[in-house]
Amino acid sequence: MVNLCSLTAEQVVEGVKNNHFSAVEYISQILERIEKIESQINAFTIVDANGALKKALSIDKKIRDGEDEKKIGSLAGVAVGIKDNICTKGLKTTCASKILEDYVSPYDATVVKKLKESGAIIVGKLNLDEFAMGSTTEFSRYGATHNPWNINYVAGGSSGGSAASVAALECTVSIGSDTGGSVRCPASFCSVVGLKPTYGRVSRFGLISYANSLEQIGPMGKTVADTVMVMNSIAGMDDNDQTTLNNGAPKYTTQSKRNIRIGLVKELVEGIEPEVSKCIYSAMDVFSKSDCKCEETSMKSVEFALASYYTIAMAEASSNLARYDNIRYGFESNPDSYEWNAYFAKIRSNFGEEVKRRIITGTYVLSSEYYGKYYLKAQKVRTMLKQELSALYKIYDILIAPTMPVLPFKFGEKIDDPLKMYMIDIDTVVANLTGIPAISVPAGFSKGLPIGLQIMADELQEQTLFETASLFESTANVQRSPKL
Amino acid sequence: MISNDEIKHLGWLSRLELTDEEIVRYALQIEEVIKYLNKLDSISLSEVEPVRLKKKISELRKDDVKPFEGDVLEVAKNRKNGYVKGPRMV
Amino acid sequence: MFRGVQNYNMIDGIKIGLEIHCQLTSLQTKLFCSCHCDYHGKLPNTNVCPVCSGLPGTLPLLNQKALEYAGLISLALDCKIPNETTFYRKNYFYLDLPKNFQLTQYNVYGITSIGIDGKLEYDGIDEEKHARIRRVQLEEDPGRLVYENNDMDSSFYTLIDYNRAGVPLVEVVTEPDFTTPKDVRIFLNKFTSIVEHLEICDTKLEGSVRCDANISIGEGKRIEIKNVGSFREVEKALSYEITRQKTMSTHEIEIKAETRHWDDTRKITKQSRVKEEEQDYRYFQEPDIPTVILGNEFLSSLKTKMPELPNDRKNRFISDYKLSEHVSQVLIDNKWLADFFESAVKIYSSPKEIANWIVSDLMGFIDENNHHHNSQASMEEKRSELKVEARHIAELARLVDQSNISRNTAKMILNQIITTGEMPSQVVERTNSSKIDDKGLLSEAIESVFRSEKSAVSDARLNSKAANFLLGKLMQLTKGRADPKIALDLIKKKLIEPD
Repeated sequence: MVNLCSLTAEQVVEGVKNNHFSAVEYISQILERIEKIESQINAFTIVDANGALKKALSIDKKIRDGEDEKKIGSLAGVAVGIKDNICTKGLKTTCASKILEDYVSPYDATVVKKLKESGAIIVGKLNLDEFAMGSTTEFSRYGATHNPWNINYVAGGSSGGSAASVAALECTVSIGSDTGGSVRCPASFCSVVGLKPTYGRVSRFGLISYANSLEQIGPMGKTVADTVMVMNSIAGMDDNDQTTLNNGAPKYTTQSKRNIRIGLVKELVEGIEPEVSKCIYSAMDVFSKSDCKCEETSMKSVEFALASYYTIAMAEASSNLARYDNIRYGFESNPDSYEWNAYFAKIRSNFGEEVKRRIITGTYVLSSEYYGKYYLKAQKVRTMLKQELSALYKIYDILIAPTMPVLPFKFGEKIDDPLKMYMIDIDTVVANLTGIPAISVPAGFSKGLPIGLQIMADELQEQTLFETASLFESTANVQRSPKL
Repeated sequence: MISNDEIKHLGWLSRLELTDEEIVRYALQIEEVIKYLNKLDSISLSEVEPVRLKKKISELRKDDVKPFEGDVLEVAKNRKNGYVKGPRMV
Repeated sequence: MFRGVQNYNMIDGIKIGLEIHCQLTSLQTKLFCSCHCDYHGKLPNTNVCPVCSGLPGTLPLLNQKALEYAGLISLALDCKIPNETTFYRKNYFYLDLPKNFQLTQYNVYGITSIGIDGKLEYDGIDEEKHARIRRVQLEEDPGRLVYENNDMDSSFYTLIDYNRAGVPLVEVVTEPDFTTPKDVRIFLNKFTSIVEHLEICDTKLEGSVRCDANISIGEGKRIEIKNVGSFREVEKALSYEITRQKTMSTHEIEIKAETRHWDDTRKITKQSRVKEEEQDYRYFQEPDIPTVILGNEFLSSLKTKMPELPNDRKNRFISDYKLSEHVSQVLIDNKWLADFFESAVKIYSSPKEIANWIVSDLMGFIDENNHHHNSQASMEEKRSELKVEARHIAELARLVDQSNISRNTAKMILNQIITTGEMPSQVVERTNSSKIDDKGLLSEAIESVFRSEKSAVSDARLNSKAANFLLGKLMQLTKGRADPKIALDLIKKKLIEPD
């Protein structure tokens, strides 16, 4: 039997539906692959081998029975991993935290429900920084995820497991969440494609909130086409999320377009690691050679983006995480005889280091005396950025930038210096603050470490985003899948 | 300057029991972060209005009952006679 | 002497403001999820879903009808309705809060509540008065805490029921415009009647209306009184608090700003445990709920849905039915009475006569024995025991108008039918045909009732009200021919005789 693990989602669906191989055969190979290399990567928090095989059997049966295309689903047989901050009924959702170590959600997140209906097979839950707070996946209760390109390096975060599992061929595609770059950062570090959709394009119902006004669930895959396939399954309005947009999601395609007007945001390239900036400028050349009109452009208020992002993210986080008091759910503990305030404080001291730091900082910026100084101004920055963007998108179809200002780095390099760690999100937060869609596509390597190109389109212009990304993907031809 | 006492108070508001060592460390680290956030000071507060997602009333949820099927509090570890058990309110 | 004058002024300068919470019990579902709004009588934690129990990953789903109801209250209280409305998080930890924050509205960083700047006029003790309404806002009710043996202090744990969590509340905040507890009561009666006329809240349901009050005397600090479970109690709590503060200032004890709880059983206010202060609530806009565009469309739709309000109804009673101001007021203060009156008038058009029957006689039955615990709930209980309907009163009025019976006879008939539910004409017919007023005959019949109703007899010996039951039995036995007045006298006499 040939090795099926390196297949794209498109090829898997094709293969399963046309009986080139069965879903069970494919999933068995994926599970073997996980078994073989997971000890090196640590991408999963939980692997659901039984559940995956059962679902594979039911898909094979549907195909044998000749059920119609719709019932079999557009993702039939595809092995998908779900970031462990997205609720799955009957399968633990831990947020890589002690606080939720035993938590089993009584409902499926909307994206999970939609993926299941599309015939996708959930193979397990993927590692992340605790409650998605981090950029390296080092802040996980289950240990850091290793970069498949060099296991001494971080995989990026917070959706480190989602990116590494795809790069290491442990699943076909995966689902991550992106609050300030949490899908794009690890996509860049692991050389896979990762999308943060327009705010409100994908339902957040079932995504355990870190910073509600910033985050979106997004797909990750080996190719642009794979992320498009997943988007076509998960996008759209949801009655369980009043922040989803009313207009129906179109069916996205991957046809590549030429003559795209592209602006490189110079503030996002200035002062970054030279290897990365070199790679981004050569990406610009790739576009120019494909008849695109490329030039550098400027976005002044980017200067305030990171300060705005961290103010809002921590403020919202401090409130979102208040509910973890071990009353309705949580780890084993007996509240008898405790005074309630003392009980809450004792229980909640089980949050990890970074989570506690963000809760305290968030509490600080929200306090009434500082509200105008931080939170209110941070909200104004969002408006300023939006205004600048809407002017820029009159001139350009697409803005590009590096996804990360740095190459992947070694474990522990930034973990003791929170501010230094926060600074690496500088290029990704603009899309979260303004709600625009952004995708990271593999752009090249330096010293054997991946570099990602970030492509940003105007609100709801995912189609343009996919066309640009496809064009780059087919022209630049960057290597996928490390040897492991 | 963020004092240790301030961190302690923030810890109380967030119901986080902090060790002395944590208090000292957080005071220093959060001080650094807040210094960076002070960048926002140079923005004038006037002109721009915050962005908000807006919807019409008709786009909100209709007042129709749909009870949840399943035991929501099955995961609650401490229960008694259907109630959820919590610590003392004294 | 100077001092005395000063003290007098201090006592004089009473300022009371109210925060009224009113559950929107007419809604089908909670404020942010599709669970039943009605949680009464359900087993603990059986009226919950992932949203209202604060499970991870859930998002609030704002109920459109709740906005409409809050809008109706706002308009009825003469409030302005802004073009947009938004929700805020009020962040504090408490055992009854599933998310450890409450979704509410907040006007400090811009107007976001549904109503602002309204007023409500009411008849003060000796003059027409009004209270300004600061705001009307929507928020969610928390869960309910229960203690073993009902005693918080001796319980080693707390039991939590989330059935109520997320029930829609409208909070109405007044300016500190009241100067006496009595005015507060009059205002609250009027408010209750408005809410009943809007048909958005069943004020008779336990816990459906609650009121916090704040009070300051003279230059003294502001005291908050919380946990007042019914409108009736507010007046008492305020009177208690005024006496307490007066006593304190007489003894020159400083009055500190604090929150006090009303102890319903001991009828006193008690200092509350320290909770978060206002500046610690870290309010910010709820990101999961979009700003809702209200605009003119909302306003005009509210106007078409607005029912007749108590003031208009009262004026109509005066002009159309030629009722006195006082009688009209009594009727509209309680929507049930006003509705009863109008149904009776529809059957037999003699408004004045009917109004009199209701106000001077029927109300007497409702109020009877009710002076001590005259809560909305016990009044309702009393009302449901009455067998009299609008058609009874209408017929009674007709019989009197047509001089078929005297007013005294009519009163006697009312006395009787209030428990039996017979039509007045039936009673008249029966009594006219062959009334048994012979004491000998009656005593014989009573003997037989006493023999067959032994347990009722012993009840009646302890509780004279139960004699009515025996009278009813006698009426059955005599096919309604017994003279009720004589018979009841005989029954009562016999009850105090030894066996």
